[in-house]
Amino acid sequence: MDYKIIMPVLSDTMDKGKLVRWRVHEGDVVHKGDVIAEVESDKAIMEVQSFKDGVVKKLLVKEGEEVPVKAPIAIIDTEAKTAQTETKITQQPKEQSASTEKPKTAPKESTPAAAVPPVIEELLKTPAPKLAEGDATPAAKKRAAELGIDIKSLQAEGKLPKPAHLRDIETEALRRYFTPKALELLQEYRIDPKEFNLDHKIGVEEVENYIKEHDIPKIVALSANRIAVMKNVQNAATKPVYFIFEEFDIKEYEGIKLTSVLIKKLATAMQKHPLMRAKLEGTTLKISPHSNISVAVAKGDELYMVVCKRAEEKSLQEIDTWVRGLKERTFTADELTGSTFGISNLGMFGVQRFSAMINQSDVGIAAFGALNEGKISVTFTFDHRILNGVDAALFVRDAKEIFKGDEDV
Amino acid sequence: MLYREALNRAIDEMMASDESIVILGEDVGRYGGSYRVSEGLFAKYGPKRVIDTPIAELSIVGNAIGMAIAGLRPIAEIMTVNFSLLAMDQIVNHAAKFRYMSGGKMTIPLTIRMPGGVSRQLAAQHSESYETLYAAIPGLIVLAASNATYAYYGLKTAIALNDPVIFLEHELLYPMEMDFKEVKNFDPFKAEIVKEGKDLTIITYLKMRYDVLEAVPKIEEELGISVEMIDLNSLRPLDMQTIAASVQKTKRVVLVEEDHKTGGYGAEVIAKISEELFYSLDAPPLRIAGEDVPIPYNRSLELASIPTPDKIGQRIIQWGRKNGL
Repeated sequence: MDYKIIMPVLSDTMDKGKLVRWRVHEGDVVHKGDVIAEVESDKAIMEVQSFKDGVVKKLLVKEGEEVPVKAPIAIIDTEAKTAQTETKITQQPKEQSASTEKPKTAPKESTPAAAVPPVIEELLKTPAPKLAEGDATPAAKKRAAELGIDIKSLQAEGKLPKPAHLRDIETEALRRYFTPKALELLQEYRIDPKEFNLDHKIGVEEVENYIKEHDIPKIVALSANRIAVMKNVQNAATKPVYFIFEEFDIKEYEGIKLTSVLIKKLATAMQKHPLMRAKLEGTTLKISPHSNISVAVAKGDELYMVVCKRAEEKSLQEIDTWVRGLKERTFTADELTGSTFGISNLGMFGVQRFSAMINQSDVGIAAFGALNEGKISVTFTFDHRILNGVDAALFVRDAKEIFKGDEDV
Repeated sequence: MLYREALNRAIDEMMASDESIVILGEDVGRYGGSYRVSEGLFAKYGPKRVIDTPIAELSIVGNAIGMAIAGLRPIAEIMTVNFSLLAMDQIVNHAAKFRYMSGGKMTIPLTIRMPGGVSRQLAAQHSESYETLYAAIPGLIVLAASNATYAYYGLKTAIALNDPVIFLEHELLYPMEMDFKEVKNFDPFKAEIVKEGKDLTIITYLKMRYDVLEAVPKIEEELGISVEMIDLNSLRPLDMQTIAASVQKTKRVVLVEEDHKTGGYGAEVIAKISEELFYSLDAPPLRIAGEDVPIPYNRSLELASIPTPDKIGQRIIQWGRKNGL
């Protein structure tokens, strides 16, 4: 390639320059930085360098000739082979070679600090996108323009919040193609709206068909209560337990719930057997003076073991008031801890007999089935670590007597 | 590995491999460095390569520039960035500009290490962060090492580079025990994605990395989102590529810096994001920075003047709720 060396502008006032002397001949090899000529400006004689490597192809100006600034004075062929040929320049000034010498350091790659990363150049080239009008974020306005959504009118109608965000625009776009119920189904089953052909209004039926056709399961997150129950029963399943099956005679009391009677009778029986009031802690037992009974309470899908504290001190009427209040209220953490024995009753659903899992650190639990002509079936589950079969048998025998009589009521 | 050990190892290995590397500064030799970074080097390399200087910052950098011009590869230590103001003319007018003034014929292979930031009750004149000054100077490279891995590889690269590098450290990081990861093909100019996420990008650097990390779990829990976190590592050049990819994904950006808010380095980052990524933004960018006051000595006031994990969490949660998160 030809590289033209021009008459340099050496001062503000210089408009032409005189070529005083050539330092090279045609055919000479020159390197970047080599002085090739001396020129005279209106002020002084200066040197002209080549800024590229190559071979001098032609000298265009004779020594002594004057030419305008920026006019070409020589042509260097930058593609001619220069590597093997030694430079013929002999009159290189000494100070020139000294100042071009690089620091004596290993040549290492250095990235100029001002480099523009390619991604920014790309971004700068991209034209500004079309934007929808209205009170919205830049991203929302851009997306709305792409989808042809008029943010301003929708906000005037109160159908979009102010300011609108990207999520509002995406939801608005879906409302065009899906009925509200269909949209709910999509979210419930976590189906990507792009699975449908968005060229018509899509109703519930179409989404339901899609669900059946693709066998998509409904995803239900477990409630906090379910997770707590799971933990509790998993812990219970690790306990070494045994069962005692019995049938108790029991009296009914006018206007009193059966569960209240069961709590009262059990509380009385527990007073006679300290082990039923015990809590295992390491290698010790902590025995409470009171009968604190956890009662299984179902509320919709949720299950709570609510503790009736000091049940032996309460009258049957007081316990019944407590039991009747359970359905209406929520429970504090304190009400869900501190028991040593449990009760579960499924008799009202016609269940004849079943067994229950021990709650938290309780010693045992009594599972009551349906009441049939004054008799009720009961399954006791006991933690064998705390008491042996004989202890349990003595407790069950006493309980059976207490359930039959009514001294405590 | 301790942060300061990573720096020491980097200097030691570089000095062992290249005789032209020398270090100079106040107490870097016999004393082993104010923060023990040059510990053991005086005994190993001697007083000709580990040079104790007078308390004269302008001359430390000036001498270092002379060494660099003459073919050495000096590492100058300024005790804290606060004192580097005394060396400003040498740094800005000479070190940064020699390559350009000489038409690229001369380069200054100089590394200037300096710790900064709010430590514990060092008061206003010893608590500043001046990255915003240095990152604004064309001709300088500004690196900020928040962790042992970057401290080691970043400092080695800084020493090897032929251009002047301001290597920023933080006073509270020196005695911190950190994970060290082996890195192949280390790129000192690449920002680190500390944590991936999809709803919000938090950009930070230096010590604030740890304050942000502490705040992130609460932010994610309270807003129900996942946070992406970027540690810039290099302040000049700035890795806009990594920032752009993240912000285009999350559409929201928060910048956390310890320096004063007005004219802080974060202002530059947020300005670039606004210029180049405006149409990707789904919320106004948020800056969490130090207050616009000289850092107070009183510990309570000192903490009140800079971002803390609590404040970072609260501000982002508040901002997120207001902006559609």
